[in-house]
Amino acid sequence: MTIAIEVKELVKVYGGKVRALDGVNLKVKAGDVFALLGPNGSGKTTLMRILTTQFKPTSGEASIFGFDVVRRDSQIRKIISYVPQETSVWTDISGYENLLIYAKIYGLQSRDRNKVIREALEGMGLDTVADNLVKTYSGGMIRRLEMACAMLIRPKILFLDEPTIGLDPTARKAVWEKLTSFKKEYDTTVFFNTHYMDEADLYSDEIAIIDRGKMVKFGTADELKHSIRRDVIQFSLNDHIIDESVLKRIRDLDFVNDIIINDTDLSVVVVDAETALPVVIEILRNGGISVKKISMTRPTLDDVFLKYAGTISLERGDIREIKQVRSMTGKG
Amino acid sequence: MKDSIREMFAMMELELRRLSHDRTELYTRAIQPILWLTVYGTVMSHVKAIPTDGIPYLDYITPGVLLQSTIFVSVFYGLTIVWERETGILKKLLVAPASRYATVIGRSIASGVRAIFQVLIIIPVALLIGVDFIFNPLYFIMAILIIFFVSGGFAAISILIASIMKTRERFMGIGQALIMPLFFVSNSLYPIKLMPPILQYFAFFNPLTYAVDAVRGLMISGDISNLLPDIAAIAIFDVIMFAAASISFRKIIE
Repeated sequence: MTIAIEVKELVKVYGGKVRALDGVNLKVKAGDVFALLGPNGSGKTTLMRILTTQFKPTSGEASIFGFDVVRRDSQIRKIISYVPQETSVWTDISGYENLLIYAKIYGLQSRDRNKVIREALEGMGLDTVADNLVKTYSGGMIRRLEMACAMLIRPKILFLDEPTIGLDPTARKAVWEKLTSFKKEYDTTVFFNTHYMDEADLYSDEIAIIDRGKMVKFGTADELKHSIRRDVIQFSLNDHIIDESVLKRIRDLDFVNDIIINDTDLSVVVVDAETALPVVIEILRNGGISVKKISMTRPTLDDVFLKYAGTISLERGDIREIKQVRSMTGKG
Repeated sequence: MKDSIREMFAMMELELRRLSHDRTELYTRAIQPILWLTVYGTVMSHVKAIPTDGIPYLDYITPGVLLQSTIFVSVFYGLTIVWERETGILKKLLVAPASRYATVIGRSIASGVRAIFQVLIIIPVALLIGVDFIFNPLYFIMAILIIFFVSGGFAAISILIASIMKTRERFMGIGQALIMPLFFVSNSLYPIKLMPPILQYFAFFNPLTYAVDAVRGLMISGDISNLLPDIAAIAIFDVIMFAAASISFRKIIE
Protein backbone atom coordinates (compact mmCIF):
# COMPACT_ATOMS: atom_id res chain seq x y z
CA MET A 1 0.00 0.00 0.00
CA THR A 2 1.44 3.33 -1.07
CA ILE A 3 0.92 6.38 1.07
CA ALA A 4 -0.02 9.41 -1.03
CA ILE A 5 -0.13 12.01 1.71
CA GLU A 6 1.46 11.87 5.11
CA VAL A 7 1.17 14.65 7.66
CA LYS A 8 2.86 14.66 11.06
CA GLU A 9 2.25 17.16 13.86
CA LEU A 10 1.69 19.96 11.37
CA VAL A 11 1.36 23.44 12.85
CA LYS A 12 0.66 26.70 11.07
CA VAL A 13 0.59 29.95 13.02
CA TYR A 14 -0.49 33.13 11.25
CA GLY A 15 0.92 36.43 12.35
CA GLY A 16 2.50 34.88 15.44
CA LYS A 17 -0.78 34.27 17.22
CA VAL A 18 -3.53 32.54 15.24
CA ARG A 19 -3.01 28.79 15.28
CA ALA A 20 -4.78 27.72 12.08
CA LEU A 21 -3.34 24.23 12.32
CA ASP A 22 -2.50 22.87 15.73
CA GLY A 23 -0.68 19.55 15.38
CA VAL A 24 -2.43 17.79 12.51
CA ASN A 25 -1.71 14.12 11.76
CA LEU A 26 -3.02 12.44 8.64
CA LYS A 27 -2.40 9.59 6.22
CA VAL A 28 -4.04 9.19 2.83
CA LYS A 29 -3.63 6.00 0.79
CA ALA A 30 -2.77 6.25 -2.90
CA GLY A 31 -5.82 5.83 -5.10
CA ASP A 32 -8.28 6.88 -2.42
CA VAL A 33 -10.81 9.65 -2.55
CA PHE A 34 -10.27 11.49 0.69
CA ALA A 35 -12.68 14.06 2.12
CA LEU A 36 -11.66 16.63 4.71
CA LEU A 37 -14.64 18.01 6.59
CA GLY A 38 -14.61 20.93 8.93
CA PRO A 39 -16.51 24.05 9.92
CA ASN A 40 -15.50 27.46 8.55
CA GLY A 41 -12.12 28.56 9.82
CA SER A 42 -11.19 25.08 11.01
CA GLY A 43 -7.98 24.99 8.97
CA LYS A 44 -9.14 23.00 5.92
CA THR A 45 -7.91 25.49 3.37
CA THR A 46 -4.69 26.17 5.25
CA LEU A 47 -3.88 22.45 5.27
CA MET A 48 -4.57 22.16 1.57
CA ARG A 49 -2.44 25.18 0.74
CA ILE A 50 0.49 23.73 2.69
CA LEU A 51 0.09 20.35 1.00
CA THR A 52 0.07 22.06 -2.40
CA THR A 53 3.33 23.89 -1.46
CA GLN A 54 1.83 27.37 -1.59
CA PHE A 55 3.34 28.26 1.75
CA LYS A 56 5.38 26.62 4.44
CA PRO A 57 4.16 25.17 7.73
CA THR A 58 5.38 26.73 10.97
CA SER A 59 6.46 23.32 12.26
CA GLY A 60 5.81 19.64 11.67
CA GLU A 61 6.16 17.60 8.51
CA ALA A 62 4.11 16.81 5.46
CA SER A 63 4.95 14.79 2.39
CA ILE A 64 3.32 13.92 -0.91
CA PHE A 65 4.37 10.51 -2.29
CA GLY A 66 7.42 10.75 -0.07
CA PHE A 67 8.42 14.25 -1.21
CA ASP A 68 8.68 16.72 1.65
CA VAL A 69 6.48 19.77 1.03
CA VAL A 70 9.19 22.19 2.08
CA ARG A 71 12.39 20.66 0.72
CA ARG A 72 11.08 18.90 -2.41
CA ASP A 73 8.30 21.29 -3.36
CA SER A 74 9.30 21.51 -7.01
CA GLN A 75 9.00 17.73 -7.45
CA ILE A 76 5.58 17.84 -5.82
CA ARG A 77 4.35 20.57 -8.15
CA LYS A 78 5.05 18.34 -11.14
CA ILE A 79 2.73 15.56 -9.94
CA ILE A 80 -0.19 17.42 -8.38
CA SER A 81 -3.07 19.50 -9.65
CA TYR A 82 -5.05 21.88 -7.57
CA VAL A 83 -8.43 23.52 -8.00
CA PRO A 84 -8.88 26.38 -5.55
CA GLN A 85 -12.23 27.30 -4.11
CA GLU A 86 -12.41 30.55 -6.07
CA THR A 87 -12.62 30.75 -9.86
CA SER A 88 -9.22 29.98 -11.29
CA VAL A 89 -9.65 30.42 -15.02
CA TRP A 90 -9.37 33.60 -17.09
CA THR A 91 -12.85 34.67 -18.05
CA ASP A 92 -11.88 36.98 -20.89
CA ILE A 93 -10.50 34.23 -23.13
CA SER A 94 -12.13 31.02 -24.37
CA GLY A 95 -12.23 27.69 -22.56
CA TYR A 96 -9.87 26.17 -25.10
CA GLU A 97 -7.41 29.03 -24.70
CA ASN A 98 -7.41 28.60 -20.93
CA LEU A 99 -6.38 24.99 -21.33
CA LEU A 100 -3.82 25.96 -23.96
CA ILE A 101 -2.15 28.51 -21.64
CA TYR A 102 -2.05 26.02 -18.77
CA ALA A 103 -0.77 23.29 -21.10
CA LYS A 104 2.08 25.62 -22.05
CA ILE A 105 2.79 26.55 -18.44
CA TYR A 106 3.04 22.84 -17.65
CA GLY A 107 5.20 22.24 -20.70
CA LEU A 108 3.05 19.67 -22.47
CA GLN A 109 4.70 18.56 -25.71
CA SER A 110 3.33 20.61 -28.57
CA ARG A 111 2.65 17.59 -30.78
CA ASP A 112 0.16 16.00 -28.39
CA ARG A 113 -0.95 19.20 -26.70
CA ASN A 114 -4.00 19.66 -28.88
CA LYS A 115 -5.08 16.05 -28.44
CA VAL A 116 -4.77 16.20 -24.64
CA ILE A 117 -6.74 19.45 -24.51
CA ARG A 118 -9.51 18.07 -26.73
CA GLU A 119 -9.71 14.94 -24.58
CA ALA A 120 -9.94 16.97 -21.38
CA LEU A 121 -12.68 19.14 -22.87
CA GLU A 122 -14.62 16.10 -24.05
CA GLY A 123 -14.12 14.35 -20.73
CA MET A 124 -15.72 17.29 -18.98
CA GLY A 125 -18.45 17.68 -21.57
CA LEU A 126 -17.27 21.07 -22.75
CA ASP A 127 -16.27 20.29 -26.34
CA THR A 128 -19.21 22.16 -27.83
CA VAL A 129 -18.52 25.40 -25.94
CA ALA A 130 -14.72 25.23 -26.08
CA ASP A 131 -14.37 28.31 -28.26
CA ASN A 132 -16.79 30.51 -26.33
CA LEU A 133 -15.49 33.08 -23.88
CA VAL A 134 -15.48 31.73 -20.33
CA LYS A 135 -17.60 34.72 -19.21
CA THR A 136 -20.53 33.16 -21.02
CA TYR A 137 -20.21 29.89 -19.04
CA SER A 138 -22.43 28.87 -16.12
CA GLY A 139 -20.96 28.19 -12.68
CA GLY A 140 -21.04 24.45 -13.28
CA MET A 141 -19.31 24.78 -16.65
CA ILE A 142 -16.57 26.93 -15.13
CA ARG A 143 -16.00 24.28 -12.48
CA ARG A 144 -15.80 21.58 -15.14
CA LEU A 145 -13.34 23.70 -17.10
CA GLU A 146 -11.20 23.99 -13.97
CA MET A 147 -11.35 20.24 -13.55
CA ALA A 148 -10.31 19.83 -17.19
CA CYS A 149 -7.37 22.16 -16.48
CA ALA A 150 -6.38 20.11 -13.47
CA MET A 151 -6.53 16.90 -15.46
CA LEU A 152 -4.33 18.06 -18.34
CA ILE A 153 -1.17 16.81 -16.68
CA ARG A 154 -2.73 13.54 -15.45
CA PRO A 155 -1.79 14.32 -11.86
CA LYS A 156 -1.04 11.65 -9.28
CA ILE A 157 -3.01 13.66 -6.76
CA LEU A 158 -5.83 16.06 -7.37
CA PHE A 159 -6.49 18.64 -4.65
CA LEU A 160 -9.94 20.18 -4.70
CA ASP A 161 -10.91 22.97 -2.33
CA GLU A 162 -14.71 22.99 -1.97
CA PRO A 163 -15.14 21.60 -5.48
CA THR A 164 -18.86 22.14 -5.81
CA ILE A 165 -19.50 25.19 -3.66
CA GLY A 166 -22.27 27.37 -5.05
CA LEU A 167 -23.40 24.86 -7.67
CA ASP A 168 -26.94 23.58 -8.10
CA PRO A 169 -27.56 19.85 -7.41
CA THR A 170 -27.53 18.89 -11.10
CA ALA A 171 -24.23 20.65 -11.71
CA ARG A 172 -22.76 19.12 -8.57
CA LYS A 173 -23.72 15.68 -9.73
CA ALA A 174 -22.25 16.30 -13.18
CA VAL A 175 -18.95 17.48 -11.69
CA TRP A 176 -18.69 14.39 -9.50
CA GLU A 177 -19.62 11.98 -12.27
CA LYS A 178 -16.89 13.35 -14.54
CA LEU A 179 -14.45 13.34 -11.67
CA THR A 180 -15.21 9.76 -10.73
CA SER A 181 -14.74 8.49 -14.27
CA PHE A 182 -11.43 10.37 -14.60
CA LYS A 183 -10.28 8.95 -11.29
CA LYS A 184 -11.14 5.43 -12.43
CA GLU A 185 -9.27 5.83 -15.69
CA TYR A 186 -6.04 7.22 -14.26
CA ASP A 187 -6.15 5.96 -10.67
CA THR A 188 -5.67 9.45 -9.34
CA THR A 189 -5.71 10.11 -5.61
CA VAL A 190 -8.29 12.78 -4.82
CA PHE A 191 -8.11 14.96 -1.71
CA PHE A 192 -10.99 17.37 -1.25
CA ASN A 193 -12.34 19.84 1.29
CA THR A 194 -16.05 20.20 1.61
CA HIS A 195 -18.84 21.04 3.90
CA TYR A 196 -21.41 19.13 1.88
CA MET A 197 -21.81 16.00 4.00
CA ASP A 198 -23.64 14.09 1.29
CA GLU A 199 -20.70 14.50 -1.07
CA ALA A 200 -18.27 13.14 1.45
CA ASP A 201 -20.68 10.30 2.12
CA LEU A 202 -21.27 9.39 -1.52
CA TYR A 203 -17.92 9.86 -3.13
CA SER A 204 -15.18 9.44 -0.56
CA ASP A 205 -13.34 6.33 0.60
CA GLU A 206 -12.17 7.95 3.80
CA ILE A 207 -13.10 11.03 5.75
CA ALA A 208 -11.34 13.15 8.32
CA ILE A 209 -13.00 15.81 10.41
CA ILE A 210 -10.92 18.82 11.36
CA ASP A 211 -11.94 21.33 13.98
CA ARG A 212 -10.01 24.31 15.32
CA GLY A 213 -6.82 23.12 13.66
CA LYS A 214 -6.98 19.58 15.03
CA MET A 215 -8.08 16.29 13.51
CA VAL A 216 -11.00 15.12 15.60
CA LYS A 217 -12.14 12.00 13.73
CA PHE A 218 -10.95 9.78 10.95
CA GLY A 219 -12.47 6.79 9.13
CA THR A 220 -14.80 5.62 6.37
CA ALA A 221 -18.27 7.11 6.22
CA ASP A 222 -19.72 3.91 7.72
CA GLU A 223 -17.18 3.81 10.51
CA LEU A 224 -17.89 7.42 11.38
CA LYS A 225 -21.63 6.89 11.43
CA HIS A 226 -21.20 3.76 13.45
CA SER A 227 -18.96 5.55 15.91
CA ILE A 228 -21.89 7.65 17.06
CA ARG A 229 -23.55 4.42 18.29
CA ARG A 230 -26.99 5.84 17.94
CA ASP A 231 -29.31 3.98 15.56
CA VAL A 232 -33.06 4.32 15.94
CA ILE A 233 -35.51 1.45 15.26
CA GLN A 234 -39.10 2.50 14.89
CA PHE A 235 -41.97 0.06 15.26
CA SER A 236 -45.54 0.83 14.28
CA LEU A 237 -47.64 -1.44 16.43
CA ASN A 238 -51.16 -2.70 15.82
CA ASP A 239 -52.19 -2.08 19.42
CA HIS A 240 -51.16 -0.02 22.42
CA ILE A 241 -48.69 -1.71 24.68
CA ILE A 242 -50.42 -2.68 27.91
CA ASP A 243 -47.77 -4.93 29.35
CA GLU A 244 -45.11 -2.65 30.86
CA SER A 245 -42.82 -5.63 31.52
CA VAL A 246 -42.14 -5.94 27.79
CA LEU A 247 -40.85 -2.39 27.73
CA LYS A 248 -38.77 -3.00 30.80
CA ARG A 249 -37.19 -6.03 29.22
CA ILE A 250 -36.26 -4.02 26.16
CA ARG A 251 -34.94 -1.15 28.24
CA ASP A 252 -32.80 -3.52 30.26
CA LEU A 253 -30.89 -4.73 27.21
CA ASP A 254 -27.37 -3.35 27.52
CA PHE A 255 -27.23 -2.08 23.92
CA VAL A 256 -30.44 -0.06 24.25
CA ASN A 257 -29.93 3.57 25.11
CA ASP A 258 -33.50 4.74 25.29
CA ILE A 259 -37.05 3.93 24.29
CA ILE A 260 -39.77 6.38 23.39
CA ILE A 261 -43.46 5.55 23.12
CA ASN A 262 -45.84 7.77 21.26
CA ASP A 263 -49.32 6.32 20.88
CA THR A 264 -48.79 3.08 18.94
CA ASP A 265 -45.31 4.09 17.79
CA LEU A 266 -42.35 2.65 19.62
CA SER A 267 -38.84 4.01 19.01
CA VAL A 268 -35.84 2.16 20.35
CA VAL A 269 -32.47 3.90 20.38
CA VAL A 270 -29.68 1.33 20.11
CA VAL A 271 -25.95 1.08 19.50
CA ASP A 272 -26.28 -0.93 16.33
CA ALA A 273 -29.64 -1.48 14.69
CA GLU A 274 -28.66 -4.55 12.66
CA THR A 275 -27.72 -6.68 15.66
CA ALA A 276 -30.34 -5.20 17.99
CA LEU A 277 -33.33 -5.74 15.74
CA PRO A 278 -33.70 -9.54 16.02
CA VAL A 279 -33.42 -9.37 19.81
CA VAL A 280 -36.03 -6.63 20.14
CA ILE A 281 -38.42 -8.39 17.75
CA GLU A 282 -38.08 -11.58 19.75
CA ILE A 283 -39.06 -9.78 22.97
CA LEU A 284 -42.03 -8.11 21.31
CA ARG A 285 -43.22 -11.42 19.87
CA ASN A 286 -42.89 -13.19 23.21
CA GLY A 287 -44.91 -10.39 24.78
CA GLY A 288 -47.63 -11.01 22.22
CA ILE A 289 -47.29 -7.64 20.51
CA SER A 290 -47.85 -7.60 16.75
CA VAL A 291 -45.85 -5.23 14.64
CA LYS A 292 -47.31 -3.55 11.56
CA LYS A 293 -44.20 -1.82 10.25
CA ILE A 294 -40.51 -1.49 11.10
CA SER A 295 -38.11 1.20 9.98
CA MET A 296 -34.57 2.02 10.92
CA THR A 297 -32.83 5.36 10.98
CA ARG A 298 -29.07 5.38 11.01
CA PRO A 299 -27.13 8.52 11.83
CA THR A 300 -26.17 10.63 8.84
CA LEU A 301 -22.83 12.24 8.36
CA ASP A 302 -24.45 15.45 9.54
CA ASP A 303 -24.97 13.88 12.94
CA VAL A 304 -21.36 12.75 12.94
CA PHE A 305 -20.18 16.22 12.02
CA LEU A 306 -22.30 17.87 14.69
CA LYS A 307 -21.04 15.48 17.29
CA TYR A 308 -17.34 15.90 16.56
CA ALA A 309 -17.07 19.42 15.19
CA GLY A 310 -19.81 20.74 17.43
CA THR A 311 -21.73 23.85 16.55
CA ILE A 312 -20.42 26.12 13.87
CA SER A 313 -17.36 27.93 15.04
CA LEU A 314 -18.78 31.41 14.50
CA GLU A 315 -21.15 30.90 17.38
CA ARG A 316 -18.58 29.47 19.64
CA GLY A 317 -15.33 31.18 19.16
CA ASP A 318 -13.68 34.42 18.52
CA ILE A 319 -15.04 35.83 15.30
CA ARG A 320 -12.02 38.07 14.86
CA GLU A 321 -9.76 35.08 14.87
CA ILE A 322 -11.71 33.40 12.12
CA LYS A 323 -11.71 36.57 10.07
CA GLN A 324 -7.98 36.78 10.47
CA VAL A 325 -7.46 33.21 9.36
CA ARG A 326 -9.74 33.81 6.40
CA SER A 327 -8.02 36.94 5.26
CA MET A 328 -4.68 35.23 5.57
CA THR A 329 -5.68 32.20 3.61
CA GLY A 330 -7.01 34.62 1.04
CA LYS A 331 -10.69 33.79 1.21
CA GLY A 332 -11.96 37.29 1.60
CA MET B 1 14.58 27.36 -15.16
CA LYS B 2 13.02 25.89 -18.31
CA ASP B 3 9.69 25.77 -16.49
CA SER B 4 10.02 29.42 -15.56
CA ILE B 5 10.86 30.66 -19.04
CA ARG B 6 7.97 28.65 -20.41
CA GLU B 7 5.61 30.25 -17.92
CA MET B 8 6.83 33.74 -18.88
CA PHE B 9 6.10 33.08 -22.55
CA ALA B 10 2.72 31.59 -21.67
CA MET B 11 1.91 34.78 -19.75
CA MET B 12 2.77 36.90 -22.79
CA GLU B 13 0.64 34.70 -24.98
CA LEU B 14 -2.19 35.09 -22.50
CA GLU B 15 -2.02 38.87 -22.87
CA LEU B 16 -2.05 38.61 -26.66
CA ARG B 17 -5.08 36.37 -26.54
CA ARG B 18 -6.85 38.69 -24.14
CA LEU B 19 -6.16 41.60 -26.44
CA SER B 20 -7.45 39.69 -29.43
CA HIS B 21 -10.79 39.26 -27.67
CA ASP B 22 -11.16 42.75 -26.27
CA ARG B 23 -9.29 45.79 -27.49
CA THR B 24 -11.43 48.45 -25.82
CA GLU B 25 -8.86 49.14 -23.15
CA LEU B 26 -6.20 49.80 -25.77
CA TYR B 27 -8.39 52.42 -27.41
CA THR B 28 -9.57 54.13 -24.23
CA ARG B 29 -6.04 54.25 -22.87
CA ALA B 30 -4.92 55.85 -26.13
CA ILE B 31 -7.21 58.85 -25.63
CA GLN B 32 -5.11 60.57 -22.99
CA PRO B 33 -1.76 60.42 -24.83
CA ILE B 34 -3.44 61.52 -28.04
CA LEU B 35 -4.80 64.56 -26.17
CA TRP B 36 -1.31 65.33 -24.85
CA LEU B 37 -0.01 65.33 -28.41
CA THR B 38 -2.86 66.96 -30.29
CA VAL B 39 -3.93 69.56 -27.73
CA TYR B 40 -1.09 70.27 -25.29
CA GLY B 41 1.63 69.54 -27.86
CA THR B 42 0.24 71.65 -30.69
CA VAL B 43 -0.57 74.59 -28.40
CA MET B 44 2.79 74.55 -26.65
CA SER B 45 4.70 74.22 -29.90
CA HIS B 46 3.54 77.76 -30.76
CA VAL B 47 5.02 79.17 -27.56
CA LYS B 48 8.57 78.16 -28.41
CA ALA B 49 9.69 78.88 -24.84
CA ILE B 50 11.26 75.49 -24.14
CA PRO B 51 14.76 74.85 -25.46
CA THR B 52 14.66 71.56 -27.33
CA ASP B 53 17.91 71.64 -29.25
CA GLY B 54 16.21 72.49 -32.47
CA ILE B 55 13.70 69.66 -32.38
CA PRO B 56 10.08 70.75 -32.97
CA TYR B 57 8.29 70.69 -29.59
CA LEU B 58 5.66 68.19 -30.73
CA ASP B 59 8.41 65.78 -31.82
CA TYR B 60 10.26 66.46 -28.58
CA ILE B 61 7.40 65.33 -26.34
CA THR B 62 6.25 62.34 -28.40
CA PRO B 63 8.62 59.78 -26.77
CA GLY B 64 7.65 61.01 -23.31
CA VAL B 65 3.96 60.80 -24.10
CA LEU B 66 4.42 57.31 -25.55
CA LEU B 67 6.21 56.15 -22.43
CA GLN B 68 3.77 57.83 -20.07
CA SER B 69 0.89 56.02 -21.72
CA THR B 70 2.71 52.69 -21.59
CA ILE B 71 3.59 53.04 -17.92
CA PHE B 72 -0.06 53.86 -17.26
CA VAL B 73 -0.85 50.49 -18.79
CA SER B 74 1.87 48.77 -16.78
CA VAL B 75 1.09 50.32 -13.44
CA PHE B 76 -2.57 49.47 -13.72
CA TYR B 77 -1.55 46.03 -14.79
CA GLY B 78 -0.72 45.38 -11.14
CA LEU B 79 -4.47 45.56 -10.66
CA THR B 80 -4.75 42.31 -12.59
CA ILE B 81 -2.59 40.70 -9.95
CA VAL B 82 -4.79 42.08 -7.16
CA TRP B 83 -7.80 40.79 -9.03
CA GLU B 84 -6.22 37.43 -9.61
CA ARG B 85 -5.44 37.26 -5.93
CA GLU B 86 -9.12 37.69 -5.19
CA THR B 87 -9.88 34.88 -7.62
CA GLY B 88 -8.02 31.58 -7.46
CA ILE B 89 -5.74 32.14 -10.45
CA LEU B 90 -2.71 33.21 -8.46
CA LYS B 91 -3.06 30.24 -6.15
CA LYS B 92 -3.22 27.92 -9.10
CA LEU B 93 -0.16 29.49 -10.73
CA LEU B 94 1.74 29.00 -7.47
CA VAL B 95 1.08 25.28 -7.71
CA ALA B 96 2.46 25.14 -11.30
CA PRO B 97 5.99 23.75 -11.76
CA ALA B 98 7.55 27.15 -12.53
CA SER B 99 9.22 29.14 -9.78
CA ARG B 100 6.96 31.69 -8.16
CA TYR B 101 9.32 34.40 -9.30
CA ALA B 102 8.51 33.37 -12.85
CA THR B 103 4.92 34.27 -12.07
CA VAL B 104 5.91 37.76 -10.96
CA ILE B 105 8.39 38.42 -13.74
CA GLY B 106 6.20 36.73 -16.32
CA ARG B 107 3.22 38.89 -15.40
CA SER B 108 5.39 42.02 -15.40
CA ILE B 109 6.90 41.27 -18.78
CA ALA B 110 3.46 40.43 -20.17
CA SER B 111 2.40 44.01 -19.53
CA GLY B 112 5.03 44.94 -22.11
CA VAL B 113 2.87 43.19 -24.71
CA ARG B 114 0.07 45.63 -23.98
CA ALA B 115 2.51 48.51 -23.95
CA ILE B 116 3.73 47.70 -27.46
CA PHE B 117 0.21 47.66 -28.85
CA GLN B 118 -0.39 50.98 -27.13
CA VAL B 119 2.61 52.43 -28.95
CA LEU B 120 1.41 51.03 -32.25
CA ILE B 121 -1.86 52.95 -31.85
CA ILE B 122 -0.27 56.25 -30.87
CA ILE B 123 2.47 56.35 -33.51
CA PRO B 124 0.08 56.66 -36.49
CA VAL B 125 -1.70 59.53 -34.72
CA ALA B 126 1.66 61.22 -34.12
CA LEU B 127 2.57 60.75 -37.80
CA LEU B 128 -0.77 62.24 -38.77
CA ILE B 129 -0.15 65.44 -36.83
CA GLY B 130 3.25 65.76 -38.41
CA VAL B 131 5.74 64.25 -35.98
CA ASP B 132 8.92 63.43 -37.86
CA PHE B 133 10.19 59.95 -36.89
CA ILE B 134 13.51 58.53 -37.96
CA PHE B 135 12.77 55.74 -40.38
CA ASN B 136 15.38 53.25 -39.34
CA PRO B 137 13.94 49.77 -38.68
CA LEU B 138 16.82 48.82 -36.39
CA TYR B 139 16.35 51.96 -34.27
CA PHE B 140 12.61 51.40 -34.24
CA ILE B 141 12.94 47.82 -32.99
CA MET B 142 15.42 48.97 -30.32
CA ALA B 143 12.99 51.63 -29.17
CA ILE B 144 10.14 49.11 -28.99
CA LEU B 145 12.31 46.74 -26.97
CA ILE B 146 13.24 49.51 -24.56
CA ILE B 147 9.56 50.38 -24.11
CA PHE B 148 8.81 46.69 -23.60
CA PHE B 149 11.38 46.26 -20.83
CA VAL B 150 10.63 49.57 -19.13
CA SER B 151 6.97 48.62 -18.87
CA GLY B 152 8.04 45.34 -17.30
CA GLY B 153 9.84 47.28 -14.57
CA PHE B 154 6.86 49.53 -13.96
CA ALA B 155 4.50 46.56 -13.85
CA ALA B 156 6.80 45.11 -11.18
CA ILE B 157 6.43 48.35 -9.20
CA SER B 158 2.70 47.93 -9.42
CA ILE B 159 2.92 44.32 -8.22
CA LEU B 160 5.00 45.62 -5.34
CA ILE B 161 2.33 48.19 -4.50
CA ALA B 162 -0.40 45.63 -5.04
CA SER B 163 1.17 43.29 -2.52
CA ILE B 164 1.21 46.07 0.05
CA MET B 165 -2.23 47.50 -0.73
CA LYS B 166 -4.08 44.21 -1.23
CA THR B 167 -7.36 45.86 -2.24
CA ARG B 168 -8.35 47.34 -5.55
CA GLU B 169 -9.71 50.63 -4.23
CA ARG B 170 -6.56 51.61 -2.35
CA PHE B 171 -4.51 50.60 -5.34
CA MET B 172 -6.34 52.92 -7.75
CA GLY B 173 -5.42 56.00 -5.74
CA ILE B 174 -1.77 55.08 -5.43
CA GLY B 175 -1.52 54.22 -9.11
CA GLN B 176 -2.69 57.70 -10.12
CA ALA B 177 -0.50 59.41 -7.55
CA LEU B 178 2.55 57.60 -8.86
CA ILE B 179 2.38 58.14 -12.59
CA MET B 180 1.85 61.88 -12.95
CA PRO B 181 4.81 62.88 -10.71
CA LEU B 182 7.04 60.43 -12.57
CA PHE B 183 5.93 62.02 -15.82
CA PHE B 184 6.41 65.62 -14.70
CA VAL B 185 9.71 64.99 -12.94
CA SER B 186 11.33 63.59 -16.05
CA ASN B 187 12.58 64.88 -19.37
CA SER B 188 9.29 64.00 -21.07
CA LEU B 189 7.94 67.52 -21.52
CA TYR B 190 11.02 69.72 -20.95
CA PRO B 191 14.77 69.29 -20.46
CA ILE B 192 15.82 68.46 -16.94
CA LYS B 193 18.18 71.43 -16.76
CA LEU B 194 15.15 73.76 -16.60
CA MET B 195 14.10 72.22 -13.27
CA PRO B 196 15.00 73.50 -9.81
CA PRO B 197 17.98 71.54 -8.38
CA ILE B 198 15.87 69.43 -6.02
CA LEU B 199 13.67 68.23 -8.89
CA GLN B 200 16.73 67.60 -11.04
CA TYR B 201 17.89 65.30 -8.28
CA PHE B 202 14.61 63.38 -8.38
CA ALA B 203 14.69 63.25 -12.15
CA PHE B 204 18.12 61.67 -11.94
CA PHE B 205 16.61 58.72 -10.07
CA ASN B 206 13.54 58.56 -12.27
CA PRO B 207 13.77 55.57 -14.62
CA LEU B 208 11.42 57.32 -17.01
CA THR B 209 14.15 59.91 -17.70
CA TYR B 210 16.47 57.26 -19.11
CA ALA B 211 13.75 55.56 -21.10
CA VAL B 212 12.62 58.85 -22.65
CA ASP B 213 16.21 59.78 -23.46
CA ALA B 214 16.82 56.45 -25.19
CA VAL B 215 13.55 56.40 -27.13
CA ARG B 216 13.96 60.07 -28.13
CA GLY B 217 17.42 59.30 -29.47
CA LEU B 218 16.22 56.30 -31.41
CA MET B 219 12.96 57.67 -32.76
CA ILE B 220 13.35 61.44 -33.06
CA SER B 221 16.78 63.04 -32.69
CA GLY B 222 19.03 60.23 -33.86
CA ASP B 223 21.47 61.15 -31.10
CA ILE B 224 22.25 57.82 -29.49
CA SER B 225 25.42 58.80 -27.65
CA ASN B 226 23.73 58.11 -24.31
CA LEU B 227 22.09 54.87 -25.38
CA LEU B 228 24.34 52.50 -23.46
CA PRO B 229 24.11 54.29 -20.09
CA ASP B 230 20.34 54.60 -20.65
CA ILE B 231 19.99 50.88 -21.28
CA ALA B 232 22.17 50.15 -18.26
CA ALA B 233 19.97 52.35 -16.07
CA ILE B 234 16.83 50.61 -17.35
CA ALA B 235 18.37 47.18 -16.78
CA ILE B 236 19.31 48.09 -13.20
CA PHE B 237 15.81 49.43 -12.63
CA ASP B 238 14.23 46.24 -14.00
CA VAL B 239 16.41 43.93 -11.95
CA ILE B 240 15.78 45.83 -8.71
CA MET B 241 12.04 46.00 -9.34
CA PHE B 242 11.73 42.33 -10.34
CA ALA B 243 13.61 41.33 -7.20
CA ALA B 244 11.59 43.62 -4.91
CA ALA B 245 8.28 42.51 -6.45
CA SER B 246 9.27 38.85 -6.15
CA ILE B 247 10.11 39.25 -2.47
CA SER B 248 6.98 41.20 -1.63
CA PHE B 249 4.93 38.72 -3.63
CA ARG B 250 5.14 36.37 -0.66
CA LYS B 251 2.82 38.76 1.12
CA ILE B 252 0.20 38.36 -1.56
CA ILE B 253 0.08 34.63 -1.18
CA GLU B 254 -0.03 34.22 2.58
